[in-house]
This record gives sequence, C-alpha cells and structure tokens, in this order.
Amino acid sequence: MTEQIKETLCRVTGDVLEKLAFIFSFPEEGSEDTDYGSSLAASVSFAGPFTGTLVMAVSDDTLPELTGNMLGLDDSESTTAEQQHDALKELINVVCGNLLPVISGRQSIFNVNAPQIITENIASYLQSISEENGQLRAFAAKLSLDGGECDILLFIKGKFPPEDTE
Amino acid sequence: MAINVLIVDDSSVMRAMILKSLRMSGLPLGETHQSANGQEGLETLNRHWVDLVIADINMPVMTGEEMIDRMKEHPEMKDIPIVVISTEGSETRLEQLQRKGAAFIHKPFSPEKIRDTIKTIMKLGGSDDGTN
Repeated sequence: MTEQIKETLCRVTGDVLEKLAFIFSFPEEGSEDTDYGSSLAASVSFAGPFTGTLVMAVSDDTLPELTGNMLGLDDSESTTAEQQHDALKELINVVCGNLLPVISGRQSIFNVNAPQIITENIASYLQSISEENGQLRAFAAKLSLDGGECDILLFIKGKFPPEDTE
Repeated sequence: MAINVLIVDDSSVMRAMILKSLRMSGLPLGETHQSANGQEGLETLNRHWVDLVIADINMPVMTGEEMIDRMKEHPEMKDIPIVVISTEGSETRLEQLQRKGAAFIHKPFSPEKIRDTIKTIMKLGGSDDGTN
C-alpha cells in the first residue's frame, strides 16, 4: 500500500507540475529526508471517506520559475512573493483535487479546505501534525525538478483505507 | 461577436492562467472582468454586461455553486452560460453542477479544452482558430 500511494503521489504531482507549471519532474528513489530550510511549503486539509492533510514543499530556487511559467511571464520578468505563494497554493490545491479521487474512487465526496502557506519552520510543522493526530499514516515522495526539489507528503488520520474502498 | 467574460477565482495566478488561455484560444474576446469570490462575481454581473462566466467552486465568502444558484434566480443573469473550472473530482458533485446547466473543466486544463468547451456551451461554430 505504501509504495502504491507513493507512486500515486509522484504521478499526480508530476502530472500537475507539467500541465500547470510546464516543469518536468522525476521521482527520486529512497531519499525522502529533506532539509526544508530552503523551501517554501503549503498545506491543505481535507475530510471525506478519510481525513488528512497534504503538504507540498518546493525549493526556493525553483519557485520563481514555476510561478513565472504559470503566469506566462518572460524570463526577464520577476514575480512577487505574493504571486509565488499563490502559485504554490494553487498547485497543492490541484494536486489534492486530483489525488483524492485516485486514492478513494471518483464517487467519493471530499471537502477540501483552502490551502495555507506554512509560515513556521516546516520540520516543526510536520512534527506537530504527527503529534496532534493519533493513528496517523504518512506517505512521502520526492520529485527532482530542474534546479530544485519538490516534496509531497500525505498524512491520513484514522482508519485507511476505509472499509468500503477495500 | 466579441465575448465579454467574467473570471471568478480566489487565486490571482489561476485567473491569470485562465485569461492567458482565453487570449491564446482564438475566441473573439471583448471585455474581461475578474472577481475573487462568488459575491464579488455577482456584484460585477450587476455592473457590467457579461456573455460568459468562468468560475471556480471552492472560494471563500461565497462559493461558485452558490453564485450559480443566485444567478439562476435572477432574470437578467439566469441565461448567462457558465463554465466551472475546478479541481472537484467527485462525480456526484459534477452531476449536481451539470444539472444547474454549467459546463465543467477539470484542473489542470489546456487552452484547447477551454476553447472547445466555450464553443460548445455558447453554440459557436466555425473553425478552431476562432473564425466563424
């Protein structure tokens, strides 16, 4: 199950990055350990047949290019921090919207909250998610981007998979 | 006929992407307006003549679905074609939207998908380069 979810995380995230931000990505095998010091991260929580949180962290170096691509800007044009935050929130929103039906089935109904930029230390935030939720299952994948990395982490609370999807 | 379009999405980046796709589509664009939620969208519709609404679903203040419901209650807005562009993946929810007369485009989208969906919902004929 873990490998299957990890593969799905890589596939869905890579597909969204390619179609929305015109950036190609490659799964990195066996290297989930990340120093999040030079990354910006966003989270989105959801509730439905199962509940949880999706976290996406993108290297600071890659985010301006990714944002510029989404906005259709020339290489010479720069992006603001607000635009970069908005771009990351939109990316995680689309990844989440595409991921949940793949995992849970297209008939499932999820309520997805508005994405949030993680303003605190990312490692501390991830630690707090683990501590706040009992029976938490975590799935992580890392994608290599041109000049950076993208980490995608799925935290699921409670029983997973739900009995009716098994 | 130039099409006046209202784009309703809480993400400024997504509004810019939709607008860029519309400009690339070859459709005859007239005025374009942008709103960040359903409430602002309704206010824009009250102030401007709009031929087509492109809206997200999950937005703060007022969702796209609620905006569509309000439009259907309004004599001057009820017949405006609506295209929903959303990450919504539930077939149950998509069927609800379709029953309200909205066309649906799933994110991530391509400019071609936007063009073809608008042509269908607005009953625009002609070739793919936007000429009629």
